[in-house]
Amino acid sequence: MKALEITDLVKRYPTGTEALKGVSLEIEQGEFFGLLGPNGAGKSTLIHCTTGLAQPTSGSIEVFGHDAVHHYEAARMAVGLAPQELNLDWFLTIEESLDYHGGYFGMPRRERRERAHELLDAFSLLDKKDERTRFLSGGMKRRLILARALMHRPKLLILDEPTAGVDVELRLELWHYVQRINGEGTTILLTTHYLEEAEQLCSRIASINDGQIAATGSTRELATEYGVSSLEDAYLGLVGRKELSRAHIGSDVE
Amino acid sequence: MNTRQIRFFTLVRREVTRFFKIKRQTLGAPLLETFLYISVFGAALGSRVGALHGYEYIVFVVPGLIMMAWATNAFANNSSSLLQQKFQRSIDDQLSSPASPLELLLAFSLGGFLRGLIVATLTFVAASLLVDIPVEHVLVLLPSLFLVGLFFAQLGVLIGLRAEQFDDVSFYQTFVLQPLIFLGGVFYSASLLPEPFETLTRFNPVYYMIGLVRYGFLGYSETNIALSLLFLTAAASVLFAVNLRLFMIGYRLRA
Repeated sequence: MKALEITDLVKRYPTGTEALKGVSLEIEQGEFFGLLGPNGAGKSTLIHCTTGLAQPTSGSIEVFGHDAVHHYEAARMAVGLAPQELNLDWFLTIEESLDYHGGYFGMPRRERRERAHELLDAFSLLDKKDERTRFLSGGMKRRLILARALMHRPKLLILDEPTAGVDVELRLELWHYVQRINGEGTTILLTTHYLEEAEQLCSRIASINDGQIAATGSTRELATEYGVSSLEDAYLGLVGRKELSRAHIGSDVE
Repeated sequence: MNTRQIRFFTLVRREVTRFFKIKRQTLGAPLLETFLYISVFGAALGSRVGALHGYEYIVFVVPGLIMMAWATNAFANNSSSLLQQKFQRSIDDQLSSPASPLELLLAFSLGGFLRGLIVATLTFVAASLLVDIPVEHVLVLLPSLFLVGLFFAQLGVLIGLRAEQFDDVSFYQTFVLQPLIFLGGVFYSASLLPEPFETLTRFNPVYYMIGLVRYGFLGYSETNIALSLLFLTAAASVLFAVNLRLFMIGYRLRA
């Protein structure tokens, strides 16, 4: 059974824009999978369709064998989403944010309390647990978003550009944490603009451009396929911007 | 509690926690407003107005104030809460949970319904300390108040769903709801109005709601009670069905 199996997924918005044009994708259990693509390529739409925040026009999505569109309850129980936007509830404190999220996923009170404490400790938020989310720094909000996604112990963790705009220290901290939970068996789907991040963390990468999967494979496989030496050059080839290659810039200077 | 019960209870708890966290605005302000109405219309003007249909003016007005408190608070709470959560996108946390459209709709509806219940109850208690408010037909009063609360809770959800900015919510509140309530006979009896205003009042749905609640308290009504109850039940049910449909298709919630 795959952790995530997407088949011929199409998403057309009422405006007529086709954000996904028949995407098929498979992620194995326990994988650390990267999804790369420029802005507007369809990464977030794909994630939103998987988590119920967008409704697919056609195609199917299965999470650990559960239909994520029509019989979504079991599928959503298995997914944790750390979205790109810092979408915290201003009325809640840090601890309440975790507690309510656990409640939405049906966790009993005692379990919620213990799990929240564990995550607050892991993300160095314990001493701020009674602060309202709207008064937190950007870094703390980012940590809380990740902690919230992990609250109900999802088997598939979806990270939508989790390190966008965070400092080096927090980025490394988040990397360590997600690598650890991946080592413990959690499947991870990561979207990122940072190629270094994808190279460092992901065992397999798919590149999406203009609503279609352009290529899938490991960093080395992608580089070999496109006859280049780095993931960055393979990526630039995929999105049709080879002229931006660092190798080019070097030769221009010469 | 099973998983589903925990989920639903948490969804409702979130809505109730929200209005308790800003209780000065959500509970204190409406209570002060009602107190001012009672002071102005009851104590200051009431003594000069004299009895209306055999009831002391303040006693005639209080049932309308109670209905108004429940209606406006149910509406304001749900429309604001939904819009705020859409605005912050924090609603995505509930939308990506396993909660069904029905569970989400019921939870969002209950928030305003319960806030309206609290403010209406406190209004009744406060008014009872000042004057003796009779309760003549409790079996009409309770279902009437329940239906009024349900209707305006659903209306609040509908407007909150449709709204894209705070101006959209305040527009309905100021230019639709408030005039309908004020012109529905909270502070007067429609039978005292000159034509064509008396006839026009009969096209205002809030007039029948006030009629029901006033009959429940005082035993006095200018409207057909059974027909009013029937229409209110139908209106609340239709609104609920519309909202459920909108939640099912993810109207302005899911892309």
